[in-house]
Formats: sequence, structure tokens, C-alpha cells
Amino acid sequence: MIRKDEIYRIDYVLVFTVMILVLIGVLMIYSAGFDPIEKINKGLYKKQILWFVFGFVLMLAVTFMNYKILSEYSLQIYIGFLLILLFTSLFGKTVRNTRAWLNLGLFVIQPSEFMKLGLVILLAKYLEFRERDIKNFKELLIPTVLTLVPVLIILNQPDFGTAMIFIPILFTLLFVGGADVSHLVSIIGIAAIALVVPMVITYREWIGQEGSNIILDFFRDSTLLYIVSGSLMFIAVTSYTLHFFYIKKYYRKIYIPSTVFSLGLFFSVIIHKYLKVYQKRRILVFLNPDLDPHGSGYNIIQSKIAAGSGGFFGKGFLNGSQSQLGFLPEKTSDFIFSVVAEEWGFIGSIVIIALLSVIMFRGIQIALESKDKFGALLASGISSIFFYHIIINIGMAIGVMPVTGLPLSFISYGGSNLIMSMIAIGILINIRMRKFVH
Amino acid sequence: MAQSSLKLRMLEVFRFRMFSFIALVCVLLGFLIIQLINIQLIQGKEYRRRSRMNMESNIPIPAPRGEIYDRNFKPGEDNIVIVSNRPSFNISTIPARFNNKEEFEKTIKKLSKILKIPYEDIFQIIDQQNPWERIILKEDVPLNLIIKIASNRFLFPNIDWNDESVRVYNLGKIFFHTIGYVGSISKDEYAKYRDIGYKYYHKIGKTGIESEYDSLLRGIDGYVRRIVDVKNRLEGEEIGASPIAGNNLILTIDTEVQSVAYEAMEGLKGAVVAIMPATGEIIAIVSKPDIDPNLIISRGNGKIINALNNDKDRPFLNRAVQTKYPPASMFKLVTAISALEEDKWKPNRINYCTGKFTLKGYIDKDIYCYKTHGALDMEGAIAHSCSVYFYQTGLSAGPSIILKYANYLGLGEKTGIDIPGEITGFIPSNISWKLKTHGQRWYDGDTVNLSIGQGFISTTVIGIADFISGIVNNGVVYKPHVVKEIRSPDNTKVIKSFIPEKTREIPLTGLTMNTIKSGMRSAVKYGTAARLSYINVPIAGKTGTAQTRSIRKENYSQHAWFVSYAPYNGDISKAVAVVVLVEYGVAGAASAVPVAEKIYTKLVSLGYF
Repeated sequence: MIRKDEIYRIDYVLVFTVMILVLIGVLMIYSAGFDPIEKINKGLYKKQILWFVFGFVLMLAVTFMNYKILSEYSLQIYIGFLLILLFTSLFGKTVRNTRAWLNLGLFVIQPSEFMKLGLVILLAKYLEFRERDIKNFKELLIPTVLTLVPVLIILNQPDFGTAMIFIPILFTLLFVGGADVSHLVSIIGIAAIALVVPMVITYREWIGQEGSNIILDFFRDSTLLYIVSGSLMFIAVTSYTLHFFYIKKYYRKIYIPSTVFSLGLFFSVIIHKYLKVYQKRRILVFLNPDLDPHGSGYNIIQSKIAAGSGGFFGKGFLNGSQSQLGFLPEKTSDFIFSVVAEEWGFIGSIVIIALLSVIMFRGIQIALESKDKFGALLASGISSIFFYHIIINIGMAIGVMPVTGLPLSFISYGGSNLIMSMIAIGILINIRMRKFVH
Repeated sequence: MAQSSLKLRMLEVFRFRMFSFIALVCVLLGFLIIQLINIQLIQGKEYRRRSRMNMESNIPIPAPRGEIYDRNFKPGEDNIVIVSNRPSFNISTIPARFNNKEEFEKTIKKLSKILKIPYEDIFQIIDQQNPWERIILKEDVPLNLIIKIASNRFLFPNIDWNDESVRVYNLGKIFFHTIGYVGSISKDEYAKYRDIGYKYYHKIGKTGIESEYDSLLRGIDGYVRRIVDVKNRLEGEEIGASPIAGNNLILTIDTEVQSVAYEAMEGLKGAVVAIMPATGEIIAIVSKPDIDPNLIISRGNGKIINALNNDKDRPFLNRAVQTKYPPASMFKLVTAISALEEDKWKPNRINYCTGKFTLKGYIDKDIYCYKTHGALDMEGAIAHSCSVYFYQTGLSAGPSIILKYANYLGLGEKTGIDIPGEITGFIPSNISWKLKTHGQRWYDGDTVNLSIGQGFISTTVIGIADFISGIVNNGVVYKPHVVKEIRSPDNTKVIKSFIPEKTREIPLTGLTMNTIKSGMRSAVKYGTAARLSYINVPIAGKTGTAQTRSIRKENYSQHAWFVSYAPYNGDISKAVAVVVLVEYGVAGAASAVPVAEKIYTKLVSLGYF
């Protein structure tokens, strides 16, 4: 399976960067798990080391088989993970009201983590397969469905943060896979209008600014919205028909925006009508935790205090009062970056961001250098998994992203995410190793 | 060929899109780094302050107040401590720190069980205060209860304890009106003094020298920094700043004389002042009835204080400085001085007392002396307090002159004693005062009344002491004071010594002085105060009996005065003047003189003369 000279082509930059990151992660988990009053440690760091060893073995295993196999079995891998995910969300273990874990006796795994990788493999395969036709709008349907199925299952667990991470990964793959930019912008436009309108209304009602505002009154009147949406749709269909008979480019400039606004307004009415007020408020709190200072707002405030109080040099290992004395919540997983920022300061934070950037940019480089399209798409998909986790997790810790409960790759405590990430690294090494083979 | 060119174009597109993705990655990473710079470097200080606020709970250690000693204080020796402190613990909380109302109420209810006070009372204390500030829930909590709470900290989130010295008034009632007492700072006091460092949890001197010298006695608070985790478990504790004790005060008062004066007044109402005219130092100052300050200093005893405020005997009133009485026969001295100084009367002028005096006027009116004295000169008239003699003296001098001299001698002014709340006596500025306020002109009858200290005028006990000091000291009056020295907390350094402060000089002629003094001496030798003649120091004195307008039907509806000094014609620098006032006494001699007798006996035995 592997030729002798390929051993030397193992990407040691990736391997060592990952090892340093996991080591830092273990130290931070040790620090976060330390109880300065009872002078005991919860010992999570030992488990993380075990997960790393296990992940390392899997990484090597993945490295030494040809990634073409992944292309061949991509559908089976996807369906396999999907079934496990479905099984989990029906019969899995519930932790904090979320049924996302599967008890395998010796240990517990979170299949939604592996689903990320399964989806990326299948999407890479599909986009390679439909490479030439991807500019066609219809071709976007299948990738979207492939993504929405696991998203809906995960939303049902419910694990909002994990479900949401699939969407930007899908869009990134469609984008680099060659989809028409105007199609992608249209979809994002429809989703944005459909969400923003009911959210703004709910927000203004919540904070008590109900005053009569002509624009808001318009958006509150669903009949009016249906009429506007219908008229826009009529314009869109007319101009599309005209476009069909007399192929003139400027018709596109009419029917695309009118379709976007028509569908956007239509879905906004649907969402505003059929979502309960508390559900809409929950989404608002997700976007702006300050609306709920005792719930998720508390977490974000404490996390910002932890990170901000670290200053330039940090408070020192085991000296972060916010994490050591328990003011920082979820400090081994969601908010581990705040522990780094508090104890190791700005310098430590920059080092972590730099090391994570090495992995992301290495992934992108591998994608650009890959000898085939599947490898290129797979590598960029994996890079985007890391990228969105890193941006959202760190952004959340320092108060510029909503609280989602996503782990920080390689650093946060958690076996499933670590093992998934290590396998992904194995795939990246694998793709790079074989770019020399012709 | 077409195939490969399409592939190449698609590769171009892929490369372009990958670089777009790289641009997005760079922009978002840059955004994260900008936010990190913002919160860690630009706002780092503010977040550090907030992280400290999370974990630190600064608990004040109120500084022990300065101790108070008497005039016999000698540095480094075992001195009598009039007021000291003992350590104690308070239980306190900051209500706004509780996470929610249930936790707050649960904790307070648990606490009320341990402290054995109804929780409604605790809630009441809390309701009256700002929830963001530390509120003392119970003071002087026994150590074993503190240990119980400390060892179960997790059951009592946000409940803290702190040291606070409790004031101990070792001599209790004896010094009540002089030293006063401390109590919680009131809302008005807090508003007034917060700018000069008073905290809402402080105690503040309410009356007496505790109030007058509060800023010197109170010291500077320290604090304990307690580091707690999110569940209020204690992680560490350190002294943030040690408290600096307040300064000590050395009084001019002699505890033994004070105690004797206090005992002599037992069962009586009134006041005693013993003063050294040469310096203005007060050796003893007593007011009766009184209160034990130890019973009223703790927080939350407004009920006890209210009850005492409503007591008809008015125990809070310092009768030495805050009450005015008709000066009665003691005013005869003023009448004598004015007539002699203005040359309206000669000291050796003999007048014959028939026990009756006829005031000539529209209708003649007879006024009586309390006794038929026969022929008297001025000295004898003072000694026997003959009213008839002074009616004539007064009429000779005229009311304007008498009032002028009364004011001149300072009877209508404050003495400036360092005990707060002093009031002035009342002396009309001139005779037209009566027309202005009563709508009547000044009659001879008013003059007659004035001559013997009855009628409109009134004086305080300390005012009379001030007046007699001027006589003894040949016209020079020093401000009466009770604090002699301020010393550092360890007594090693003198921070301030109070040097005698001259407040008034009354240049009276030697003849007038001698006449007054010899008259007072005769009163002790053979006159109204002959009871004191046996004492081993030549005493001079003057009794007085004031008729009060009290409508209360008691057996003795008169105030008894006795003003005196010793030694007569002796060393002025050693002289002590003693003024006694007994409310509702039988007569001057009968109730006021025995008080002075005990004081002089004590002074002699202590070697004052």
C-alpha cells in the first residue's frame, strides 16, 4: 500500500504542529481541571492523552492507506455515519438535555463530530463527479440535501452549534468546487431575508420599541408581504420566460434579485408565523447573549473577563483566577481558549492562533498542490472544518461570535473531536504524500 | 485539446477560489487578533479589575478608637483607662452579590437560626440600606458562632465576618455626659461626613468628647482581602491594610474627684463643675441623671435610645452645659461688682436689714428678705446673702449698669468648652429689651428682681464656673476644657497639648475683687455656707436659691446653687472653683453645699492645695 520512499514524504510540519497543540491543550485541561482549594485535579487531562494516543494511531493508519479508497467508499462512509447519527439521536445518551452521545461500553463517542468528516468526503466526491455541470443551479440541490439531512438530525438532538457548522462548510466546498457565485449569493440572500425580518421584529418587540415605524409596520403585515412576494415572483417568472425566449443577459439582473426577495419575504412570513416567540428569542440570544445576561450572557461576560484580564503576559500557569476559581464556565471544552488567554496572555493567544493557522494554511496548500480534484476538494473541506471551528470558538471566547458550544480543534477536551481531527490530519498527510505519484 | 483547455480553465477557477478562501481566512483571523488586542491590551486593565472583583471580597477592619485617660496619666505606667476597646466580630453581607432572591432568603433564614434573631429583623436591616454596600447584620457575635459559620462557609454564600473593636466605657455612667457615646452613623451624618472618609458602616461619636474629638479618635480603617471562588469557598486571605488606631486622649479630669462628685450627686438631679481657674482645666464635670453608655452603643438599639429620649428626667441632657437656670443669689455678686465698679456704692456702706424693703412707686410695695439681718456692710451682705441690701445696691446702680456688667462678665455668652451642645445663658443686652419683647417698660420692680438674680435672666452651670474663674483669677478667664493632651495610639508621642487659652480679661479694681472675695470667704466662715468652715483649706463661696417657674408640685420647688473656690487668698495657680447646681433642692445650703463639701474634702486629701 505504501512505498518505502513515501515514508519520507510524511508531512512532519503537520505532525509536529498537531503534537504541540495537543500538548498545550493537555496542559490547559490540566490547569482548568485543577481545584486550587481542594488541591486535586479532575484528571481529564489523562483521558485526553489517551484519546490523543488513540487518535495518533488512527492518523497513521489513515496515512498509510490510499485516500482513493475514501473516494470509492464515500457514499458508504456517509450512509454509515448517518445511520449511527440517526441511531444516536434516537437511542443515544443524553447529557445536559442533548441526545448526542453513543455509549460504546469502554468509552462514549459523539457521532455528529464524525459526520462532519463523512459529509466532506462525500461532497468532495460529488463535486468531483459533477465538476463540469456544477455551474447549473439544479446541481446544487443534491449537496444541499446531503448536508441538510444530518443538520436536521443534529438540530433534533438538539445541538444547534454543531448543526450550524455544516452550513459554512457546505458553502465553502460549493464555492471552491466551482458553483456559480450568483447562485450561492442568492441562496444566502434568501436565507438572510427570511431570518433577519422576523428577528428584527421580535427583537424590537422584546426590548419594547414597538413604536409605529412605517417599514416595520409593513413587515408585520403578512397579507401585504404575501402580495409583495407574489408580485415579485410574477416579475421573476415573466422575466425568466422572456429570458428563455430571447436570451438577453440583462434579464438575469431582473429575475435573480426578484426571486431572492420574493422567496426571502415568503419564508420570512412563514418563519415569523410558525416559530414560537420563545424559539425566536432563543435565536436572538444566540446571536446576542447580552439579551440574557443571566444565561448565556453570563458565560460570555465571564469569558471576556478571563481573556481580557490576561493582558500581555498572562497571569501564569495555574494562576488564572477566572478559570481556577470557577467563574469561567465550560473551561475544559467550549471556553478553553479563555484559559489560554488568561494564563498565557496575548503572547500565548497569538502562539495558539499561529499554530492553528499553520494547520489551516498547510491544508489549503495541500489542496492547491493535490494532483486530483477529489484530493483538492477533500483537503479544502478539511481545512474549512478546522477554520470554522477555530474562528467560531475563539470568536466566542473573546465575545465576537455567538455562544455555540463548538470545541477548539486539538485544544478542547473531547475524544470525538480530537480523533476526528487526527483522522482529518491523516487524510491531509495522505493527500500530500501522494501528490508526487503520477 | 478542448478537453485539456477546459481542465486548465477549471483549475484556474479552483485556484482563484482557493485564494479567495485564503483571503477570507486572513480577514477573519485578523479580526480575531484585533479583538484580542482590544480586550487584552487596550481594555486589559478594566477586565483585570473585574476579575479581581469576581474573586475578592474586601472586608473592612474598622480601626480601634483611641483610648481615653484621666489627668493623672503617666506614659509607660499602669494608668486608669476611662474608655478602652475590646475585640469582637460582626457578621456582614453585600446583598447584591447573591445570585438570586431564593438563595439570598435561604441564606438569611439559615443565618437567623444560628444567630438566634428573627429573620424579619435581618430583612428589615437590609431593606433600609443600599444593597451594593456592605451591611452589618449583627455585631458583637460570639466567637463560637463565627467558627460555626466559618466551618460551613458553603452554606452561607456571601456572608462575611470582620473584626471590630467594641467601645468599653470602664467607668460607665460616671463620665456619660462628658465623654458621650458612639453609635451607628445616621443617614444625615453620613451625607455630611462621607467626603472626609466616613463610611456608612462606621460608628461615630454621638455626644460629648466622643463627638467633639471624633476625627482624632477614630483612626484609619484597614481591610482583609478574602479570595473566594464562584461558590464562595475560601481560597486565601490576606491583610490588605492594617488598621491604624485612633489617637488617645488625656483628660484634664481627675477620675477620683469625678467619682466623688458623681457619688455626691447620687439621687439628685443637677450638675457639678470643678475647674482650675488658672488654666481653665476642668477637674470634674457631672450631670445627673445619666445613662450607662455601654448599654446603648450597639447597632439596632434605636428602641432603647428612643425610650431614654422620652424619659421625663431627660437623662441625655447634659445639665452642666445644656440647661440654663436662674442664677439667683449668685447674681448678687454681679450686682455688687457693677455698683462698686461704677462707684455707685462703697463696700463699707452699712445698710440696715429689717427683713422688709418697701419699693416706692405708684403703689408702694413691700418685699421681704428671708431673714432679718440687721446692720450689714457689703461683705456681710454677701456672707448672709441679704436681699434687702442688694435691692438697694441694685437700685443705686440701675439696671443698665447691672446688665452691662453681666454681659461684660460673659454670663450671656458661651464659654467655648470642648463639650458639644453648649447653650448660652440669657442676659438682656439692655433695658429696652423688655419693651421690645414684652411691650412693657422696665420697672423698678424688675431692677429689684434683677439685683438678686431672679426674673428674666438665666445662666448655665458652666457659665457660672467661667464667671467665678474670672473672679478667682483676678479678671483673666481661660477657656474651660476637658482634654489636656492628644497622644499617639501607643502613647509615646504627644500629638497636641492644649495650652490654656485666654478668652476674656475683666479689669476689675482690686477693691472690688477683695470685697467680693472676702464676702464669699465670710459666707463660709460664718454665713450661709458655714458648714464648710471645718475643711482644711480656706474656702470662699456663695449660695443661691432659685425660684423656678416649674408647675410641678414637688416638695422642694427650688434650685440650689453653690459657687465656691479654694484656697481663699492662696496660690491662684493651685485654686479650684467648684460650682454645684441641684434641681429642686430645699435651699442652697441644704442640698448643694454638701456636694461641694465632699469634693473639697477629696481635693484636700489628694493634695490639690
